[in-house]
This record gives sequence, C-alpha cells and structure tokens, in this order.
Amino acid sequence: MDALHSGDAFDRELSLRELLGAFASERLGRHLASLLGDFRLYDEKNQTVLESGSVAADVPTIDIMLDIEPVGRLQAAGNIETLKAAAELVAILLQSQMRYHMASRLHEEQVSHDYQRLQKEHAALLKSELKYRTLAAELEARVQEQVETLKTAERQLYQAEKLASVGQLAAGVAHEINNPIGFIRSNLTSASAYVKDISGLRAAIASGDAKKIAAAWKTADMDFLLEDFQSLLQESIVGADRVARIVSDLKGFSSIDHGKEERIDLNESVRTVCNVAGSRIQQKAQLVLELGELPALQCQPGHINDVLLAMLFNATQAVGEGGEIRISTAVEGGDICVRISDNGCGIAPENLSRIFDPFFTTREVGAGTGLGLTVCRDIVRAHGGRIEVESRVGAGTTFTIHLPLKGR
Amino acid sequence: MADYDEDAHRLTIKLVYYGPAMSGKTTNLMQLHDQLRPDMKGELMTLETQGDRTLFFDLLPLGFRAPSGLLVKFKLFTVPGQVAHDGTRKAVLSRADGVVFVADSQRNQVLNNAESFENLAENAARVGLDFDAMPLVVQFNKRDLPDILSEEEIAERWQGAQWPLVFASALSGEGVSETFSQLLEPVYRHMDETYLLNINHGLDAASFIKGMGV
Repeated sequence: MDALHSGDAFDRELSLRELLGAFASERLGRHLASLLGDFRLYDEKNQTVLESGSVAADVPTIDIMLDIEPVGRLQAAGNIETLKAAAELVAILLQSQMRYHMASRLHEEQVSHDYQRLQKEHAALLKSELKYRTLAAELEARVQEQVETLKTAERQLYQAEKLASVGQLAAGVAHEINNPIGFIRSNLTSASAYVKDISGLRAAIASGDAKKIAAAWKTADMDFLLEDFQSLLQESIVGADRVARIVSDLKGFSSIDHGKEERIDLNESVRTVCNVAGSRIQQKAQLVLELGELPALQCQPGHINDVLLAMLFNATQAVGEGGEIRISTAVEGGDICVRISDNGCGIAPENLSRIFDPFFTTREVGAGTGLGLTVCRDIVRAHGGRIEVESRVGAGTTFTIHLPLKGR
Repeated sequence: MADYDEDAHRLTIKLVYYGPAMSGKTTNLMQLHDQLRPDMKGELMTLETQGDRTLFFDLLPLGFRAPSGLLVKFKLFTVPGQVAHDGTRKAVLSRADGVVFVADSQRNQVLNNAESFENLAENAARVGLDFDAMPLVVQFNKRDLPDILSEEEIAERWQGAQWPLVFASALSGEGVSETFSQLLEPVYRHMDETYLLNINHGLDAASFIKGMGV
C-alpha cells in the first residue's frame, strides 16, 4: 500500500489560517479596514486572525462560508451589507486558495505516484538486468565448455584422420619395401649357393694341378658365377638403398619433428610424398611431375607433407581408368604455387563451396571423416597461404596451393 | 476511511465517481447538484478541464446535521477517466468510503469499461481499500443513446457480481439519484459500524438517506 498519510492528503479539511497563507497579512487587513473600518477576523476556533482597531463584542458577525460550512467569521460595526460583501470577498479568496491547494497537492501526489512507479520499474529492470547478466555469464561459460568439447573432439578426429592416412601409407610402404626385400633375399640365396660352388674349387686349387683347376673352374662356370655374383650384390645394394630411402622419406611423416620450422626446397617435399605414395598411385594413374626452380621456403615440412599427401590421395581417388595426375610447382607473384591436377570425376558445383567445411564428405560413411581438406586448408592458412580449387564434372579438378615466400 | 473530527463535530464522507473517459461522471455530479435537496449544498467545483474532459477532479460538497448536531459532510469526487491520469485517479480514490462506477452503455465501449473497472480494482488495492468489501454501485449510463448493450445483456454479463446495477441517462437526470441512494445504503452501514451513528447520533439509515435530500 502506498497511500499517503491523510494529514498530507489533497482533500483534507483546511483551516482559515492555512487557506489565507500569505494573504493573512497586513495587506488584507488594510483593505478590510478601508472597507469596514474597525473589524475582526476569526478562524473556525474563534481565534482572531486579523484585526483593526477595537471591535466591541456585540458588534454583528457574518460567517465566511467554504463548501457548506463556516471556516471563520468577520465582525465589524456599520453597514451589514458591506460586511456581507466583505465576507463574500474573503470567501472567494479562500475558495481560490483551496482550489490552488488541492490542485498542487494532488499534483504532488501524482508526481510521487509516478516516481514510485518509476522506481519500482527501475528496480525491476535492475533485477532483470542482473538476471540476464548472470544468464549471459552462464551462457558464456557453457559456450566455452562446448567449444572445449568440440576442440577435443576435433583434435581426436584430426588424429583419427591422420591415423587413417598413416594406415593407407603403411599399406603402400609395405608393398614398396616388400619388393626390394624380396629380391635382396633371393639374391642372397643365390649368393649363398655361389659361395658353396666356390668352396667346391678348394680341392682342385689345393692340388696345384693347373689342368684340374681349369676343369673344375669350367665345371663350376666360374666366369659367369663371378660376374653374376657381382651383379647380385650390386642389385642388393640398390635394393637396400631403396629401403633406406623409403625409411628416410617416411621420417618426414613421423610426428616427431612435425612442428619444427625449416627452410626447405618444396620440390623435395613433392618428390618425397610421391615416393611414399608412389606405389598406390601408380596402380591407378600416371604421375607427371613438372617441378620448376623454387627458392627455399620457411615452413613446417611435416605439415606441408601431410597436405601434399592428402591432396595426392584425393586425386588418386578421383581418377579412373587411364587417369593422370599432374603436379607442377612454380613461383607466381611472390607465392610458391603447387598445382595438383587430375583428370578424374570432378566435383559437383553445389559441393564445390563446401569441400573445405568440416565433416563434409561425398564418400561413403566410414570412408572419410570429411576433415582431410579442412585440415589442409588450416595448415595452409597457418602458413599465410590459401588453397584454390577449379573443377569440372567429368573433366577433372585442379587444386592450387599458394604459399607466400614472405611467410605469414 | 471517513474523517471524524471531534472538535469540529463533523464526519466527512468521501464518495468517488469512477469510470472510463467520457462516461458521464461529471454529468452525474451536475445532476446531483440540481436534484438533491440536502440541508447544505455547496457549489460544484471543477478543477481544470480540457474540452469536456476532467483533468484533475470535480468536487461537490453536500451535508446535513444529524439529530445529535453532528455535521455529516459528503465530498463527491469524480476522477479523470483517461488512462494517462492514473496517478490522479489513484490519489482521488485514496480514503474513499464508497464508489460509483459509471460505465458507458455503448457497444463500442465494452473494452474501455472493462479496463477501467480493472484499473479501479488495482488502484483500490494500491491505496489499501478492500475492493470486495467497499460500498460500490455500478451505473450503466447513456441509456438514451442508440447502439447500446441491452439491459438483459448487461445483467447477464454482470450476473454473479455482488454490486447493484443501475441504468441511467445522466444527461436527462434519469437514474442519477437512484444510483446515489443505492450507494448511500452500504455507506451508512459502514459508517454506523464505525461511528455508531444510530446510537450516538440518533441517525438511522432512512434519515441518513433522507438527510441527503434524495
């Protein structure tokens, strides 16, 4: 309840003194005196409010009416009509004062009502503001939490994607290593037989008989044997070198040195990647390299290799029978550009804008995470570069990786 | 919450005419001024109007003396009807001893009536009046106009409400004093309970209403 005290109310009864206020002065007294001569003005409690001269007690009095009751009396000797008129004048003055008083009090009450209402609204607003601020903070915290969860999931998926490509890589590498290991082993078996044959000459040589030696030499076909032995060993050395090279290429993909920055020749990276993925590609498509002269590039080679490998695998998946994958490098406008083109199936226009979106994939469920190109774009962006793509369905796709020489 | 002034030997009773804008509250007071014949009747005081609209309030003072000599003084107020003057309405309603709700019978005023009545209930609560217990009469005014709700429709809508319904055409004076006397009955009961008008002042319900010259 916000009612004001009735003592302050706009409609309370007012006394003569209150109503006269500033008019209860000599000024009113002077005018009344010039109208009435000696007079006396009483309030509702018969107290004298104003007087002039001395008025005898038996002199006539007239009530001053306000609303329906007297609020005071005016007393003066002389003409009763003049007295009535004077009382009426005072009544008019009081009435006007009363109107003013009521209106101003009411106005005050209204202002205070409005003020209270505003304060209430203000308090309510403050409360709701606090509520929303708390809510906003909570939401912020929850968003952070979700972002963390997503980041973790994303990292796990990146890891999974990497593991998947490592798996694909391992299959290729196994094939690649198996081949030299196979012929090295077969060569060593032959070499072992040759050593046995050579041992067979021991008795003939010990006899010192030249004829016997010559006959045994011829029987063992030593001329051919020595020549073949030499080439077996030579071939095995080449094979072992090949294995060594594959292993060294593989190190480029090991995560050990992944984050390290180095100045490298990007053409080397292209070659390494082609070597690693070579067997897989060559089963499906012909690989054509057009490597231009490149200045050294400051980059994270491990990550760049990931990008090249992923692109190469994508191209391999796109091509069909008689496919061709062309990798060219060049310097264009301060960027090193690596262009990987295939003559495969191409990308549908409606998909073209989405291929870099996380988790977007046109492959069957389980065949790809949809993160390969997202990761590629992120890596290239981290190097200050960009990836452009052009594609026509049925004609093929060209990815161009721009890596600025100036770095980020 | 009438004002009983023992020194002045005076009981002041405040009655308020409430209702939507232009429903005829001031017209009710003007008619009462002409129709009532109480011992004492003041002038209708109008505080600021704009066109036909009341900005502050109208006040009609009336009164009579009880056999005991007690001056029973009535102050009849109107409130400004426009929605914007809620602060003034609230202040005028404060300490009211009885309320006449003047509704407009025209069909297009149904919503305004409802809003104003709701506003009355709200403001009563805000100034500490017991809305369900306070003397209240609902007057449906402007019966002389076309396109008004029929008495049956109104009676049906207000069925179950505990307040007396009066139909009036304030402009021609019909139903105005009837409304007033309907209000005086519960007002007397309340006053008698509090101030023992009958026992202490020899004033019963009939002479209370008769005193007002209804």
